[in-house]
Amino acid sequence: MLRAGLAAAICLSLTTALIHLLLVFLHVAPTNPVSQRYSQQVNAWVYPLFEQDWRLFAPNPESVNRQISVRTMHIGPDGTSHVSSWFDLTAADYSAVEHNPFPSHTSQNMLRRACNSYLELHGGGDQSRSERALMIQKYLRNIAAHRIAQHRHGDFESLQLRVITMPITAYSGQGDTRAAPASVSTRYLPWWKVTPHRY
Amino acid sequence: MLRIGYGLLYLLFLLREFPHREEIWGPSSPWTPALARQLFDQTGWASILTLSDSRAYFEFCYVTALATSALFMLGWRTRAVSVLFAVVVASFHARAILMTDGGDNLILLMAIYLMFTACGTCWSLDARRCGKRSRSAGWCRRRLGAVGTSAIWGDLGGVRKTLITVLHNCAMCVIAVQVCFLYGAAGLYKVQGGLWGNGTALHYVLNLRFFHPWPMLSQMADAHPLLLSITGYLAVLLQVAFPFVLFGRLKYPVLTMLLSMHIGIALLLGLPLFSGAMIIADAVFLPDRFFRSLARLGPSVVKKPSHVASPR
Repeated sequence: MLRAGLAAAICLSLTTALIHLLLVFLHVAPTNPVSQRYSQQVNAWVYPLFEQDWRLFAPNPESVNRQISVRTMHIGPDGTSHVSSWFDLTAADYSAVEHNPFPSHTSQNMLRRACNSYLELHGGGDQSRSERALMIQKYLRNIAAHRIAQHRHGDFESLQLRVITMPITAYSGQGDTRAAPASVSTRYLPWWKVTPHRY
Repeated sequence: MLRIGYGLLYLLFLLREFPHREEIWGPSSPWTPALARQLFDQTGWASILTLSDSRAYFEFCYVTALATSALFMLGWRTRAVSVLFAVVVASFHARAILMTDGGDNLILLMAIYLMFTACGTCWSLDARRCGKRSRSAGWCRRRLGAVGTSAIWGDLGGVRKTLITVLHNCAMCVIAVQVCFLYGAAGLYKVQGGLWGNGTALHYVLNLRFFHPWPMLSQMADAHPLLLSITGYLAVLLQVAFPFVLFGRLKYPVLTMLLSMHIGIALLLGLPLFSGAMIIADAVFLPDRFFRSLARLGPSVVKKPSHVASPR
């Protein structure tokens, strides 16, 4: 009795381990007939706990640096609107990373991943077409509001982001490789309202 | 070894982010609890952190997480604490999932797998306690040696031992194969990229300003395109080859090269958490012999590191 139970338990753990590995393999492997056929089972098992993301710098590392700035608008008591100057959010991140052997996730991942997700989910337009896109838009807005409230005082009711994309120049062989004023592109995101009392 | 590594790493990470804890996981984070809960509904995640929006609750969770990591590292009541550790890591991971990277991902997976291993049987407070007790009784030493040896059938204690051993070996096997998948996938994704193909990928990586902690160093490295392309090719080759070299003598030079690669990543790109997680994962493939000789160097209460099973 005890022996049978033990054997069953051993079989169970062995099969679980094998099935787990098989499903994880199907998850990381490129799409193929098997993973397509069993995609439901694979996703049900892998998400959310066993998600695998090993695409750091792959298939290609990013080849652009972004400068993300924010400016705010405040409507005065007399009804006139005051627009602030641009505040460079990425510069703060970059200087936090610089000379830091253990940079914080807040400076290395937060704005970078939020902005990348926003651009991915929104494409060329600024209309949030999915629930996820809308969530990311709120997230990005909150980050910007949070950051600017830390650095500047004063009320504001709405803010605007500007994303300047600077491609990293291909190898020229020598010298400074970052100066590439030719193909810089600038994108203005729409003005977003923020709830002032929260910041 | 894995337990100590990941416990320590997560403890360091939590301490590192201590000044930023509000911004990352707190109730007033830009990724608000409402947004997090909305995403959980879509993805099926859960987190103890979103159960309440109160500040005091958050601080309590944070302190619990710190304590759990420390206890896990020390190996106190390891089985129970390992479950708690996995819950903590999963909760913190899920709460700030948009801020995570490969390192966090790996730590989460390992925390889950480690629940099933007998990772408290050596280099731990549990082992020390057992050792003390065994001087009078003697049952504990048997328990410590049980992993990997023949099972005693028939009585309940034996069954328990066998089960623990089987579970442990399954989990270690899963961990080993998981690391192989990781390297295989990372390598093969890179093979598909044109920039890795023409050898200039590292030039771009070195110029990404989010991964630019030492501009001087990055520039110095960037000035040697030939060396960079060789390193880039070597990195991809190592990653793709990793699962195949494990079974021969070649694994030691490969592991050494990967170690230096990760130290390079930690230093040049400012990703110590990621590199640390990878280095600890690589250590799974070192033989027991290595850990025993390591133990002999340090004056400690070390038992046979039986949990570091060979991947075969």
